[in-house]
Amino acid sequence: MVQLTLPKGSAPKKGKTWPKPQGATNLRQFRIYRYSPEEGGNPRWDTYWVDMDRAGTMILDVLFYIKNNVDPTLAFRRSCREGVCGSCAMNIAGQNTIACTKGFDELPGGVITIAPLPSQPVVKDLIPDLTSFYAQHAYVQPYLKTVTPDPEKEWKQSEEDREELNGLYECILCASCTTSCPSYWWNGDKYLGPAALLQAYRWLIDSRDEATGERLDDLEDPFKLYRCHTIMNCAQVCPKGLNPAKAIAKIKHMMVERVS
Amino acid sequence: MSSHDFITPAKMARGLGSAKSGTETHIRQRVSAIALIFLVPWFVYSIINAMSGDIVDAQVWAAKPWNAILLILTAGAAFFHMRIGMQVVIEDYIAKTGTKSALLILNSFACIALFVTVALSVLKIWIGAGV
Ligand code: SF4
Ligand code: FES
Repeated sequence: MVQLTLPKGSAPKKGKTWPKPQGATNLRQFRIYRYSPEEGGNPRWDTYWVDMDRAGTMILDVLFYIKNNVDPTLAFRRSCREGVCGSCAMNIAGQNTIACTKGFDELPGGVITIAPLPSQPVVKDLIPDLTSFYAQHAYVQPYLKTVTPDPEKEWKQSEEDREELNGLYECILCASCTTSCPSYWWNGDKYLGPAALLQAYRWLIDSRDEATGERLDDLEDPFKLYRCHTIMNCAQVCPKGLNPAKAIAKIKHMMVERVS
Repeated sequence: MSSHDFITPAKMARGLGSAKSGTETHIRQRVSAIALIFLVPWFVYSIINAMSGDIVDAQVWAAKPWNAILLILTAGAAFFHMRIGMQVVIEDYIAKTGTKSALLILNSFACIALFVTVALSVLKIWIGAGV
């Protein structure tokens, strides 16, 4: 349901301003969301000054610069640092994306805010709790399901059928799309969200999968699927350039095909 | 500790299970939208024209069989479409179950009542004109 104000204790307050680095000529100001459950209290916006000549090229480099040179307590998640694992998704300058492929040259002017992905509980600083996101992904059973006994070697697929998976299999489950979706903010407990539905479609059109009907059954629901109102934030933010809204439209199309 | 502690994520994701419905509503909304693509421009154009004369001219216009039929169809498609649209808005914006149910029922009643009112008004003009 719509909540127009943040729950009690969640509104960020003004935080600490950290000292500027000495002797830097190319300084940029960052406002970063800080929250620590051990410390309690409201989250806060801390201000950091970063020497852009020494920080690298990507936003993840900025976070490392701060952690290594200014404030070692800053917490964020990352693993591959090359856009493959999806761990470093966060909200940068108002838009969800992954920090490791967001270059300085793509940043707007002025102060840059960095916050955790919206609408999810915060574990610490820039780390959101994605437990329900993963449970919703598991709900769509993202693996091959067949009734035919397994072939001796492998399940084969024509080149054309394999091409159907392009634009879907590349998803790194970063959750940028799902947590950018207002429909998911309002109904995240019942609506599966763009990422889970993109994955659902990835298995629905897999020529080797034999559970298409059951998959459609599990999705056909006014909330689980039909809460997508084609707002398109998902396609706009996806750091891999995928279009979950289009995949959802195709699922709806399959549903119509099934009854007409 | 909150009342939701110990509830597993899978339990939340599965919820009450799939309702196995929604496709019919989706089709209805799309079909009524297609009808409105044609009906609304006709309606707007006609109303602007009808407003250039006086009330009697407008009644004469509305009493023409084709105009009367199209007027009733426009109202039918519009209120039908509106009922589905408003239902989604209520479901998204109203959290309390009681209030939500009451508004959903009110929405259905209001859309049907509005349609009947428009349809009867047009019929009255049509029949009153002695066609
Ligand atoms: S579709 Fe894009 S934004 Fe959504 S989870 Fe996958 S990679 Fe991330
Ligand atoms: S660190 Fe793996 S996607 Fe950014």
